[in-house]
Amino acid sequence: MSSAFNSKNPRVRKARQKHSYNNPFMIVLNFILLITLLGGGLALLYIHSSFAWLLIGFSIIPLMMLFWIKNDLAEIPIVSSNDFTDLISENLLLLLNEKMTPANLVEVLPKTPGGAFIMARFGLTIPFFEQVLPFLPASTEPIYNSAKTIREKTNSAEITGSVLVVAVIENLPNYEQLLNQLKLNIIDLYRGISWFNYLNGIVKNSKKPVHSGGIARDLAFGYTPTLQHFAINLSDRYTGANYKIQQAENAEIIQKIIHTFSHDGRQNVALIGAYGSGRSTIVNSFAETLMNADSKIPNNLKFRQIYSLDAPSLISAASNQSELEYLMIKILNEIYSAQNIILCLDNAHLFFEEGPGSVDITNLLVPIIEAGRIRMILIMDHQKFLEISAKNPALANSLNKIMVNPSNEEETLKILMDRVPYFEHQKNVVYTYRALTEAYRLSEQYIHDIEMPGKAKLLLESAAAHANNRLVTAESVQTAVEKSYGVKVKVAEDTKDREKLLNLEQLIHERMVDQEEAVSAVSNALRRAAAGVKNQNRPIGTFLFLGPTGVGKTELAKTLSEVYFNGETNIIRLDMNEFVSASDVSRLIKEGASDALSLTAQVMKQPFSVILLDEIEKAHPSVLTTLLQVLDEGILRDEKNREVSFRDSIIIATSNAGANTIREKISAGESITELKEEIINDLISNGEFKPEFLNRFDEICLFKPLSKEDLIQVLDLIIASTNKTLANQKISVSLTPEAKQILIDKGYDPKMGARPMRRIVQKTVENIVASAILSGAAEAGSTLTITPSEINIT
Amino acid sequence: MVIFEMLSWWYARGWNIFIKKLRTTLSNTVDFFSMNSLIRTLFKPYRQISAETAGANSSLDLRFHMFLDRLISRFIGFFSRLILLITGSVIILVGGICSLTLILLWPIIPLIPIAGVILTITGVTI
Repeated sequence: MSSAFNSKNPRVRKARQKHSYNNPFMIVLNFILLITLLGGGLALLYIHSSFAWLLIGFSIIPLMMLFWIKNDLAEIPIVSSNDFTDLISENLLLLLNEKMTPANLVEVLPKTPGGAFIMARFGLTIPFFEQVLPFLPASTEPIYNSAKTIREKTNSAEITGSVLVVAVIENLPNYEQLLNQLKLNIIDLYRGISWFNYLNGIVKNSKKPVHSGGIARDLAFGYTPTLQHFAINLSDRYTGANYKIQQAENAEIIQKIIHTFSHDGRQNVALIGAYGSGRSTIVNSFAETLMNADSKIPNNLKFRQIYSLDAPSLISAASNQSELEYLMIKILNEIYSAQNIILCLDNAHLFFEEGPGSVDITNLLVPIIEAGRIRMILIMDHQKFLEISAKNPALANSLNKIMVNPSNEEETLKILMDRVPYFEHQKNVVYTYRALTEAYRLSEQYIHDIEMPGKAKLLLESAAAHANNRLVTAESVQTAVEKSYGVKVKVAEDTKDREKLLNLEQLIHERMVDQEEAVSAVSNALRRAAAGVKNQNRPIGTFLFLGPTGVGKTELAKTLSEVYFNGETNIIRLDMNEFVSASDVSRLIKEGASDALSLTAQVMKQPFSVILLDEIEKAHPSVLTTLLQVLDEGILRDEKNREVSFRDSIIIATSNAGANTIREKISAGESITELKEEIINDLISNGEFKPEFLNRFDEICLFKPLSKEDLIQVLDLIIASTNKTLANQKISVSLTPEAKQILIDKGYDPKMGARPMRRIVQKTVENIVASAILSGAAEAGSTLTITPSEINIT
Repeated sequence: MVIFEMLSWWYARGWNIFIKKLRTTLSNTVDFFSMNSLIRTLFKPYRQISAETAGANSSLDLRFHMFLDRLISRFIGFFSRLILLITGSVIILVGGICSLTLILLWPIIPLIPIAGVILTITGVTI
């Protein structure tokens, strides 16, 4: 059949008629004609004129016209054939013509709702299409052919503007490469078509009347004044409304609930799943099903209303346990008498344990649950269910458990697509498709307390605050994550940031000397992270620095923190000689409220940071075992069993183990590279570290002892640091080469590294400067030059 | 041309659509008066006001009192439902008859202008 547009198709004619007649002017004109003819006819009838019949008779014509316009011309359905014109949506019928070129087609597509939708949501802008115009096919026929295939692939009822936009793209040579540039693929565009169809369906559905049971629906059901006071009626909003909330995703679970409540046996359902997994949505969806008279459900469930008991208001209303039990009995009696209530206990554990905001009324509830005379839905998470099961096995056995698992990527995207119109309405923004996929990806990575789809919804909602010109893009979602969780998720795009990353080694060497291997290793790790090529399920980098004292191991960690992690303060430093017993493991994972300096508390607060584990060899083996998971997967659970992510941290462990061997072998002329394997083997054979621990590090870097030549640079860096301190007083200090040589001779100690040099500078240079300032010899703007004669080392 | 288009629709799809619309209206009326619920719960106590039942150990006096209470509630329920049922049935019946008449008259509606012309020519007045 034809793949060309045919302007003689009856649908096109109908569309022209619709355009001409189904408009406010014609409708008002017909009304005026009807009233005039009918009114005139009745008036003539009153004065006994036979012309009255003529006018009354002809008044039927505008009436028929109105009926025809409002019905036949209301919508132009597609015709089931394989002809392109029969299959296109009615808004395209008047926009297309037979002489149309692909370029003309591209011009008209943004004028259709589907075209505009897909172009806005996928960033397929007009300039994008202008750029690809020369590469489009010569005629529209291949595009129309593709449109027919896409319609079938996406199960679309008709060929809409969105289908045609995708068809245009599919007809571009190397379209996959083009889409890659927009971080999209053709499957994403197909999902976009389904998204448009779904939203279009909701709009059409909302116009259909919903049978809600009528005026006498609740006559046979009792009054529940106490329940109304302490519970929220979830069914209220669904009376006569057509929400159709995520029914497809939850259909299986809803069927299970319907089956449980419509058959004899225990009349309860325990929805067990993590927070955010959609348990409340299922209850709402079930409430909507029950309130729709057209739902295919048993009569004994129709128009049953779900009330969610508000535990805090119930507890606050009762002054003691017996009063609370009295209230609860009153509520349960009302529910039993009313016969149309399903009681929902959200966070059901609040009714089975003592604590702030919760109360243990197990003894009251268990017999009722077991008897099964009141329908109940209990919502709780896995952990709480296990706790309740351990405490009260009878209760656990009497519950009909339904597991609510977190949604996968496909399901989450569908749920987000369903929620987006509500967010857009509330926040007056427009979300792009990439914002949705990014919300899924980043929430999976950074939000650990909530499950899918809840966490993706949460992130998408918060991204609205970072919209650019009311458009919420992937970047808005990234900014929301960066602002909320203090991490860097954007691939370095800013020129300044890129420059910094490309010259990281140089920047680090402004603060420390040599140790090229280690400097290069950490710089490469950061560049990989910033370019988005690092493994997302591991920390940015994990390094073990081995070497003698004072050679720059800790200094490198501090420098890195200052150069890239927004200041030296963004370093989480743990002296591992404070973790020498097995019981110290608990100090690593303590909750923030009880110990703000525990490793998990600090990382939770500041995930984007350098973690320095100083003198790791001194830590107890149990502590090292605990750290294995951090080094491997970037995850550690705190004492409350919450996952803490280390995936945005760079972990540096330092150790002096093997320092003597390194020093001796390097002095004997061996190279660092040759030495590394030998040192690692020694550490394992000496029992200093277990192989599985060493194996977890991305790189083990050996720090070589500082030579006298290195020390010249160290001295320069120390003097530069002194000058930085003096900068406020506008005084600077310099040393003559001879004076420098004296300090180097005195400060050089291969065993101690750079530390003695720092002490020497303190004793000499800083003392000289202090005396000069106090005696008035050094004034603002002056430079003190220190000569050998001034240096007095005892 | 438009008139011919309209007339051809009138005698084909238009008639069908009109029947569907009337059926929807009737169905909405049935829902509005809760006819299904009214028939199903005709003898149930009104608002379950005396839904409490006497226990196994209750005295004969209490049992009789409960029974009476429940009977009155059922009577009130039955009476109120019956009124609604009758009102709804009458409206649905009238609506149904009107709908049927309109469906039958549908083909002759386009002939009304011709009838008007004839009546005018014959000079009929009232």
